Amino acid sequence: MKKTLQTLLFTVTLTLSAGAMASQSVTVHVNGLVCDFCATAIEKVFGKQDAVEGVQVDLNEKIVSIDIKDDHQMSDEEITKLVMDSGYNVESIERVERQE
Amino acid sequence: MRFLKTTALMAASMLSIAITTPTEARPVSYPGGWTAMVMNNGDYNSAHIHYSPSAKYSIGYRFEHRRDSDAELHLGQLNYLVKRRNTRESQANIYLKTAIGVADDHGDQNAAGSIGFATDWETRRYFTSYENRYLSAGPIENGFTQSARVGIAPYVADYGSLHTWLMLEVSHEPKAEDKLEITPLVRFFKGPNLAEFGVSTDGDVTFNFIKRF
Repeated sequence: MKKTLQTLLFTVTLTLSAGAMASQSVTVHVNGLVCDFCATAIEKVFGKQDAVEGVQVDLNEKIVSIDIKDDHQMSDEEITKLVMDSGYNVESIERVERQE
Repeated sequence: MRFLKTTALMAASMLSIAITTPTEARPVSYPGGWTAMVMNNGDYNSAHIHYSPSAKYSIGYRFEHRRDSDAELHLGQLNYLVKRRNTRESQANIYLKTAIGVADDHGDQNAAGSIGFATDWETRRYFTSYENRYLSAGPIENGFTQSARVGIAPYVADYGSLHTWLMLEVSHEPKAEDKLEITPLVRFFKGPNLAEFGVSTDGDVTFNFIKRF
């Protein structure tokens, strides 16, 4: 009985922690974004990544907003490399945790 | 006064070096990106499709129909991004373009090749570019052409909205009868599509279309 309760408690804890898992929104300030071709390039390159749920480009503010999937991570180094591979440069990266 | 004199000299220099080489917007795309473009002017009609394995270079096929000789060029073209400078408000590029293939003059085939470089600088409001090309196509054509452009966007639109540019292109072909040709153009740009319309001082119509996918 005790063992069953322990197993149940463990399962509930796991389920609750998964439900409260934080996902991330990343705001990347990018240099060189001057036209729609640039924005399309960023969208296509980030859109191919498994970890990315969505990407939006704001040419006015030179900002790329990336939504990371709940169970995935993207480091600053990975983001910087993808931006550079696309032909642009990262000025800064800001992260915002989203509680699900 | 000195500033005005310097500005006037710079503007005159830009126009004097201006050159009918097609000004291809961004000859290299993003990694895995394809670009298709058609260009038509008083000298030729062309179609060019290229693939960019990386943001540093693109490889593709270029077809060109020369209006004066009615000959055709079939070229494999490599565009290489030599240098890009990104700032918060601008982007500047230097490209090297080389092509090799066949010139077909009504069944008479000869080796053909071209080499040239292109440079541009743009913000969301202003645009300048210069491009040249030396084409060797056997008995069909051998010569140097160059072109330069300045442009201004009357308004700045959001990504995905319709962007409009007013541009002035100066083309120079030393071997041509009319060595210098000036073409006012209007460029429409929306998402992955770019279209340009213009009529030169000689009455030649320019129509260009570029699509990224």
